[in-house]
Amino acid sequence: MTRQKRSHHKLKRAVAPYLYLSPSLLIIGLLMLLPMVTVIAYSFQNSAVLRRDPSFAGLKHYQAIFDDPVFWASLWHTLYFTCMSVIFHMTIGMIFALMLNSDRINPTLRNILRVLYILPWLFTAVIIAVIWRLLLEPNGVVNSILMQLGIIGSKVEWFSSPETALHAVTFANIWAGYPLFMVSLLAGLQGIPKDFYEAADIDGAKAYQKLIFITIPQLMPIIISISLLDFIWTMQVFPLIWITTGGGPIYSTEVLSTYTYKLAFSSYNLSQASASAVVILLISLGLTLFYIRYQKAR
Amino acid sequence: MADVVLENICKTYGNNFHAIDQLNLSVEDGEFLILVGPSGCGKSTALRMIAGLEDVTSGSLRIGGVDVVDMPPKDRDIAMVFQSYALYPHMTVFENIGFSMRLAGKPKAERKKRVDEIAKTLQLTSLLDSKPANLSGGQRQRVAMGRAMVREPAAFLMDEPLSNLDAKLRVQMRAEITRLQKQLGVTTIYVTHDQTEAMTMGDRVAVLKGGVLQQVDTPKRLYESPVNAFVAGFIGSPSMNLFEATMTGGELMSGAFAIRLQDAAFVRRPGLKSYAGRKVVFGIRPEDLYDSSLESGRKYQTIPAKVTSIEELGSEHIVHLNIDAVRVDSGDPDAVQDFGLTSNAVARFEPDSTVRSGSEIRLALDDTKLHFFDPETHLAI
Repeated sequence: MTRQKRSHHKLKRAVAPYLYLSPSLLIIGLLMLLPMVTVIAYSFQNSAVLRRDPSFAGLKHYQAIFDDPVFWASLWHTLYFTCMSVIFHMTIGMIFALMLNSDRINPTLRNILRVLYILPWLFTAVIIAVIWRLLLEPNGVVNSILMQLGIIGSKVEWFSSPETALHAVTFANIWAGYPLFMVSLLAGLQGIPKDFYEAADIDGAKAYQKLIFITIPQLMPIIISISLLDFIWTMQVFPLIWITTGGGPIYSTEVLSTYTYKLAFSSYNLSQASASAVVILLISLGLTLFYIRYQKAR
Repeated sequence: MADVVLENICKTYGNNFHAIDQLNLSVEDGEFLILVGPSGCGKSTALRMIAGLEDVTSGSLRIGGVDVVDMPPKDRDIAMVFQSYALYPHMTVFENIGFSMRLAGKPKAERKKRVDEIAKTLQLTSLLDSKPANLSGGQRQRVAMGRAMVREPAAFLMDEPLSNLDAKLRVQMRAEITRLQKQLGVTTIYVTHDQTEAMTMGDRVAVLKGGVLQQVDTPKRLYESPVNAFVAGFIGSPSMNLFEATMTGGELMSGAFAIRLQDAAFVRRPGLKSYAGRKVVFGIRPEDLYDSSLESGRKYQTIPAKVTSIEELGSEHIVHLNIDAVRVDSGDPDAVQDFGLTSNAVARFEPDSTVRSGSEIRLALDDTKLHFFDPETHLAI
């Protein structure tokens, strides 16, 4: 009797955690794993979704993508867009965080600046896109200021010229994304003990030496974590580019997300779009694994 | 190496709070001076002003004869050991100790030679590649010492360096720091709130209260001749018992008892005579009170007392008592905990004392060890 009771209790204890996990597992399975598996399956089918009994296509669609010069251009644009965004998010975020953390700035001004600097974060991608389309219009504010200052001679069509479009969307994305770094680094800066800087002062450290030997090493875990996350998120940015340039002109701002979208919903080539989506998935997966391994190592 | 001289040093904060008021202190070359006082007495502020981490509001501050008031910390030729040690967690022990040399652009070979030398003195050689997180409290403390020593400064400043260690290790490190200081012969200013550290480590001790210097003297003289009731209460553990009494015909009268004073007491303190017929504060240390039922207490006068509680420490008994007298507050906020709510006196009895909690006893006291203070000014008579 007691033995039976005990084994019953044991079973309950063993099963309980899985019962608690089951609702979330079910939702993840239905909303994430299932679509993922379906997309992978589509990428190996001919005329996926469009036909009731699609035939197996093997690696045909992958082959088609890899043969498409637009795909390679998109990949290159995505890398440029992402790398520049992350580097500048980090640099600008760091500079603003250091400024906001400084004792030398008047506290009231510091609070005002803190709100101002965080503003871009409050806008959704659509609003950011609209703001920058207006600002960077040929007859917009930016052109007029730059011309007044004599930096440019004639009106630049920032989003409509193949030479500048990619830089312009990257710039808009940099503007929209640095607050995450700023807020995270500011929190990190506030956690660094004052003693470290006082000890360094006594040891004769100059301002830049304190930055290199104390501040940056102390912030390193935050810098690496946020950079990896930013990299993963920026790679998948769609609305900002779609609304500002739509991937044009002449594919000059085509990134993997817009490329895939166009394959699916302009050309209705859902199989090839799936193959392209799988490529994005693999790249993201690689980065995520890298992130998880880094988090585990800490 | 150098002397450190503070003249009329004041520190006032924005809200007109005087953290330090007219501090005059002269630390000789090679001397080990302890700055001690209760929390908030300004001792750490004083040390930070010497280090240059805190501005001096007024007064002059010289290290080795050079006025350093307007000098940044790095030019003052001092090294500081922080309460938290302030070791850089991302650097190894080697890098931590050699940090100031690296900042100064010294070549690696020279750095290695010097750090190895110091590691040997501090027995850290096997730990040079470890990070601070992997060290024990005592080892971290030694690394912090090493970082200060590497620069061969004119003066060491130490801000409660032992307060993060457990009691046993603290005793050990106390001896180690004292030994190192003697060996190196570097002028050292050491801040602590622990009067045991103050008494055992320093050549001289400066007692601060509310930003005002009370007394600077050797530990022995502080203990034997405190200049006021605060120093009397602060130095010694448990604190000195301080009571109010009336001086009548060569006797201290309080409630149910009288203590007869010997002529020698008046010879040593001529001022005491003028308190005849007036109130006076008298003090006696717990170690000068005895259990009258034991051999050692026989030849002394006795007064009635009630035992309220006993702490048996093995080597001695700390006995909390209630005697018929009004206790006087020395002004040391930490002293309150020495006395409970029900007791007003503390005695240290020998371990073979058999007094029980709640019993009425005769308390013997060594009247040659009495201290006297003015009831108004609390100054020693």
